[in-house]
Amino acid sequence: MNRRDFMRIMGVTSGATFLSSCGLERPAEKLIPYLVPPEDGIVPGQAVYVKTTCMECPAHCGISAKVRESMPVKLEGLSAHPINEGGLCMRGQASLERLYHPERVKSPLLRDSEGNFKHITWDRAYDMILEALKASVQRPIGSPGGKPGRKNLYLSGRTTGTLSRLIDEFCKELDIERLPEFDFYSYAAIREAYRILFDKPEVPSYKIDRADFMLTIGADILETFVSPVSHAAQFSRAKRTGHFSWFHVEPHVTLTGLQADERFSIVPGSEAYLLAYLLKHCSARTDKFKQRMIDLMPEIGVEAAAEKSAISQAHLERIAQRLSHAKNPLVIAGGVATQQEGGLEIAFLAGLLQWQMGMAGRTIDFAGSTDYDAVGTFKDLLSLSERLEKDEVSVLFVSNTDPLSSCPESYKLRDNLRKAALTVGITDLLTETMQECNLILPLSHSLESWGDTSPNKKLMTLLQPAIEPLFDTKSEGDMMLGIMRRGVRESRAVIYQQYIFESWARDHGGAAVEAFLQNGFLEKRIGVRVLKSRPSLSTVESFLKRLHLPEPKSGPTLVISPSIRSYDGRSSVLPMLNEVPDPLTTISYGQWVSISEADARELELKDRDEVRINLDGWSVELPVKIQPGLRRSVMVVQQGSARWHLQVDERSGEAISRINGVSFEKTGRTVQIPILSGSTSQEGRGVIPRPGEVHHPREEGGRSIYPEPDYPEYRWAMAIDLDLCIGCAACAVACHIENNVPLVGKEEHLKGREMSWLRIEPYYEKQRILGKREHSHFLPMMCQQCDYAPCEPVCPVYATYHNPEGLNAQIYNRCVGTRYCSNNCPYKVRRFNWFDHDRPKPLDRMVNPDVSTRDRGVMEKCTFCVQRIRGAKDAAKDEGRKVRDGEVIPACAQSCPTQAIVFGNILDPNATVYKWAHSDRAYRTFDHLGTGPGVYYLSKGRTKHES
Amino acid sequence: MVRRLIIAAVIGLFTLFVAATVLMAYRWHAAHRPPEQPIAFSHRLHAGKLNLQCQFCHEYADKSPRAGVPAVSTCMSCHKAVATNSPEVQKLHEYWENEEPVPWNRVYSLRVRKYVVFAHKRHVKADLDCTDCHGEVRLMDRVRRVSSLNMGWCVTCHRSRSASTDCLTCHK
Repeated sequence: MNRRDFMRIMGVTSGATFLSSCGLERPAEKLIPYLVPPEDGIVPGQAVYVKTTCMECPAHCGISAKVRESMPVKLEGLSAHPINEGGLCMRGQASLERLYHPERVKSPLLRDSEGNFKHITWDRAYDMILEALKASVQRPIGSPGGKPGRKNLYLSGRTTGTLSRLIDEFCKELDIERLPEFDFYSYAAIREAYRILFDKPEVPSYKIDRADFMLTIGADILETFVSPVSHAAQFSRAKRTGHFSWFHVEPHVTLTGLQADERFSIVPGSEAYLLAYLLKHCSARTDKFKQRMIDLMPEIGVEAAAEKSAISQAHLERIAQRLSHAKNPLVIAGGVATQQEGGLEIAFLAGLLQWQMGMAGRTIDFAGSTDYDAVGTFKDLLSLSERLEKDEVSVLFVSNTDPLSSCPESYKLRDNLRKAALTVGITDLLTETMQECNLILPLSHSLESWGDTSPNKKLMTLLQPAIEPLFDTKSEGDMMLGIMRRGVRESRAVIYQQYIFESWARDHGGAAVEAFLQNGFLEKRIGVRVLKSRPSLSTVESFLKRLHLPEPKSGPTLVISPSIRSYDGRSSVLPMLNEVPDPLTTISYGQWVSISEADARELELKDRDEVRINLDGWSVELPVKIQPGLRRSVMVVQQGSARWHLQVDERSGEAISRINGVSFEKTGRTVQIPILSGSTSQEGRGVIPRPGEVHHPREEGGRSIYPEPDYPEYRWAMAIDLDLCIGCAACAVACHIENNVPLVGKEEHLKGREMSWLRIEPYYEKQRILGKREHSHFLPMMCQQCDYAPCEPVCPVYATYHNPEGLNAQIYNRCVGTRYCSNNCPYKVRRFNWFDHDRPKPLDRMVNPDVSTRDRGVMEKCTFCVQRIRGAKDAAKDEGRKVRDGEVIPACAQSCPTQAIVFGNILDPNATVYKWAHSDRAYRTFDHLGTGPGVYYLSKGRTKHES
Repeated sequence: MVRRLIIAAVIGLFTLFVAATVLMAYRWHAAHRPPEQPIAFSHRLHAGKLNLQCQFCHEYADKSPRAGVPAVSTCMSCHKAVATNSPEVQKLHEYWENEEPVPWNRVYSLRVRKYVVFAHKRHVKADLDCTDCHGEVRLMDRVRRVSSLNMGWCVTCHRSRSASTDCLTCHK
């Protein structure tokens, strides 16, 4: 060996040794035992399910929180629950992010003179409140020399059940006046109309499943209106009977409207003409009284109605005919139809039509009406602002509501809030209103607290903790009791949990409480209350005499529609609901205005071009999205997506969602907003075949060059009924959370790098199908788990392969990120991790431990929720049997409000998925490519004998 | 002069080589040495001499993916009275009184735990003996890892017992 060789060998070996010895020693991992083992039934490593209630919107669906290692990781609809029947909407799914929200208020906060919040203790906060309450009697009203005796006020969001009673008790004890509650969607016009008609200012429950024909006017019943998941579940059941049809009338385009059998576009503001026409032509004239009432109605003929509403005479006559021939009709007017000038008349006429046609007690249930009794309107908010301005208020509590984010600026509420001696905000996040408060009491999440709610008058639902409070927060009930105990007297329930258990036992008895805790809800025994009381003739007469049908205004109209993603804007703080796109437009991040194709042509606008919308000296600039099906000169923006120039109807106190007299112009700029759908057209590829035109190429022969797959025991498959799918994207959010799919943000979306494993593809085709003028389709698209998957043979490292159960597996730590598979996939469902995606604390705890979190440089996609398959097989193996049908429910199928997705073993002829896959309507996307997908779609066009 | 430099370089590099080898050996030893535990708990005494069954302490082994480490209260159920004078048991008492769990160090840790599922339950129910993977624990004072836990080791056993070798059985 010469010197050079010696040097070379030594250099290489020592270098390699150094390199290989780096990072060998990992920090010792800890194994932390319990101090005391958990109670029976809790096994570490296995999930526990806690039954509770979703508090994201006022519908209060029942949920079951999956808890792993004392952390809730997923919310699911409670299958036996009378409201949502197992489904859960996207907002409900995402509400788990509120628990782990990085910006949660973590302890009581006090605002100092410079406007910064400082942490204080609970005792200090209570003392401050008590002192301020005591001092209010001496405080002078108005100017310093005024008469003493200021008032203390309590404003809360919609609160029901025992908590509402406790707040009453609290207010009485401490001499506080409780104000009407504030909720943006207060259904004020509907309640006012029912008050005039039947002296019942209530929002009834709509029994869609009992109807054979439904006419909805403006109400987005499947998105935000009253109880959307309940409506969707009932709609699904009604539709499965095959004897249900649904007409929808709206001035704009909503996801709800597109699901109706027929959708009619109406001139904004002309709904009253339609209703007046229908009242004249469909009402039963069974008795003199009803006849009298009809005579009082203004004479609106079909020509007049057609002229005002721009619905053709033939269509109007068809609506009237279907309505009058229905055995159990249901008419719902709401949403943008009642939130406008003249909305009260529309609600009144709809109420009258419902009564005339005998819907009350049959398809409209007042006994189980949604509890909005204590909810006020914008008029109450104005009066609060005026009282604050007059310096009448000493202590103002603002609990769990955010009026400032929507309050008209003319109310001056923001300035007036500062005039109260002390404003106490009770909240989980520092919303606009809360930022103006002096003292913030941090509110626990509903998953951290005990409680109950009353979604409707027949039902009480349970709130129980699934986790210890993450921060130094308390439930509202505990705050009330804490303040009372510190200030008033000692002998009182120490904690709210004790308080509600005592009150349940008192009201319902021990056995009922047991059942309540077991089921998560308690149905109160109230029979169906038939509205015997007819409306008083004189009231109706006087109303009808004064009835002035507003002339629909011409010119551009701005419609502010509620958002399926953010409700009234409150849910937009949840990161997930910005990541998952709006189903109608597929826009994820940012704000936009939807315009019609006609307007776009006229102004030469393309998607993303910016327009300026002007109204009374106020203007906003927004990018444009062209919405097929929208009528000329109607523009749509979503409530809560920006600060809108809100107007309020003077009579009902309802926020107005139709604004006339706007003008809009092109600014010449374009704004980059992520529109995730590549095209709204199927480009003739037959992704969704026309009803009755399903081809079955798999039966027409054609062999693959690859060997036939052999499935010894299971072939997992999915079937999706497009007739039931409403495109609500609950599945997409459920999938995100179940599978730890990262949120990548706007910038990545703009580059086309979204990560969602499951997406809703909207297609708008201009074609006449079954007499419908326009047709829209919503197709949930995920990995099709093909028999001959094009992704598999191109993987150079065997990271994706076909497993013996038909799953197209992806092994993350084998993947080297060539992305060949993604390029070869005709469905475009494979997603690549361009970066490591960090979850801001404490959102990093919201991780399903059964699913890996993927690293940078790795491909991922839908797995058919393999972790759930594994779980079911584990349970089956314990009992020495095969997995039964219905035991594996993937996250998407579980959350579906209409149960449009079924999953199972297609080798089993008794499995539901086998039956669906062998239906006449079944087809597979791009079947002609020979991929042999494991996902079957059932095309629209359900026949009557199929159910 | 040049000659000296070369000699110096050779000696220097050789020293480096020796140092690197020693370091590597030490590191290798450190990585395979049984980890130091906060309490010198002896499996030889408990599982061997006293013949306690594994599942007496690792009670979830046949119920859950995790075998489970005994809760401090489980230790205390005997050690309230037994061997209370031993300095190690006194350490346990200290933890119990301070209401702190004992921060044991993991012996068997899957390097790819993020990507792999492992269920004790399935393996116990398949009639595998604990010693098949964990070795003769009853002869060890301080438990050390006896199997490599790498994929080849898993697959060899799965093949020999005709258990599933589908990737998705273990990879999550």
